Amino acid sequence: MEAPTVQQLLGLAVVREALEAAWDDSLADDWLLRHEEGGWIYLNITTAAISIRRAPPGGRASVNLSSPPVVAGAVVVATFHTHPNPAAEGWNTGPGNDDSASAWFLGVPCIIRAEDGVHSTGPDARRGGLSGGHGFPPLLWLPNGADR
Amino acid sequence: MSESPATIIQADEALRRAQSDALNAYRDLSPYWIRVVLEPDGWHVDYQPKSPGMKGGGAHYVIDAETGGILFKRYEQ
Repeated sequence: MEAPTVQQLLGLAVVREALEAAWDDSLADDWLLRHEEGGWIYLNITTAAISIRRAPPGGRASVNLSSPPVVAGAVVVATFHTHPNPAAEGWNTGPGNDDSASAWFLGVPCIIRAEDGVHSTGPDARRGGLSGGHGFPPLLWLPNGADR
Repeated sequence: MSESPATIIQADEALRRAQSDALNAYRDLSPYWIRVVLEPDGWHVDYQPKSPGMKGGGAHYVIDAETGGILFKRYEQ
């Protein structure tokens, strides 16, 4: 079994429904209350079932996805979050450099739901496949001693 | 005849200009660390997430080093 790609994940109803639910919960139309929502997408390495876990609500322009809960028999294959702030107010609706850097650091694709649709950044699939245990893939050790 | 050197605003003033705008847009800047660097085109003020596990982007500014005006800004999320 291989780690699913972003396109494969976006073809699944459970993933699309999770993106829409997160978008709805972001209250994008409410200037005062709008905020980021997000979570993790898991693949059960025995059954190949996809499941979703949501993170606590984030702030106006950020959400903490650094600590995925352990799901028995499953690994994280992607993260997702919303960008609820509109281009009309000067916001970049797509992934910025920080989203990309975070996705490469964590080692899984980063899927974003914004007012103009769905974006993604980072690796196309979980780094190193499905090995490496729960949560995100293992650290990527670099020759200069820096990790990930 | 020598020209008078242009008046350059200090880093804290550049940050104050950026901070005022960023607070209005982001409401809470506690998830970000701030970098302030004087470049040839002005003060670059960049807000970046403190943690690589934090999904989100910060505000980015170029502040006119003479007038303190905002020459450029970009809101990442």
